[in-house]
Amino acid sequence: MKPMDALKPEIAWLLAAKEDRRHKLSQLPFPEKVRVVVRLQRMAEPVLRARGRQVRVWDIEKAP
Amino acid sequence: MEATLKILNDLERAGVMHRYAIGGAMGATFYVEPVLTFDLDVFVVLPQTSGGLLTLAPLYEALRARGYCEEKECVNIEGVPVQFLPAYNALLEEALAEARETLYDATPTRVLRAEHLLAIALQTGRAKDRERVRLLREQASLDQKYLAAILARHGLAL
Repeated sequence: MKPMDALKPEIAWLLAAKEDRRHKLSQLPFPEKVRVVVRLQRMAEPVLRARGRQVRVWDIEKAP
Repeated sequence: MEATLKILNDLERAGVMHRYAIGGAMGATFYVEPVLTFDLDVFVVLPQTSGGLLTLAPLYEALRARGYCEEKECVNIEGVPVQFLPAYNALLEEALAEARETLYDATPTRVLRAEHLLAIALQTGRAKDRERVRLLREQASLDQKYLAAILARHGLAL
């Protein structure tokens, strides 16, 4: 069997940077992660709504 | 979110539920990169009813009395749709008993341990659970000995 080509250095660098970013995200404090989740919800909501799925973006800033 | 957790703590103090802990995607997010979800899964140990049934009815009633209404399978508590899941098997009971105490800003709360989240995802076994297992193995600091003991106790394998 022919060996797979090695990744080009630019691609390897991009993948490593992506991995590094994901690792950094996993190290954020929990409240900061929750804020990221809400940002993801805002991005996903119009797409899901267009597909007929009713979702609600969290209102996490309500005063306790 | 902090306001939501305060209400959960109030309900626990009032004895409406014996113990709660965050699980599901938000529980996993505590240990790994943020994951998209639209509900907050909260596992609960409920007081035993006279008939021995596990029912969420008294919890929902207490929430309605505080002005929080059901929306499909969730209850909107201070802007966050919360889905309550009773501990329906030995693994969940153990996960709740050993959940980790933490603070969300200034509010105390509990999150299931990463090893239990992984075991629960293995047990549930849907595509998104398999993805959660992968993420937890990749990014969470797992106590391998503790995880192996959980898996052995509950007849699960990686």
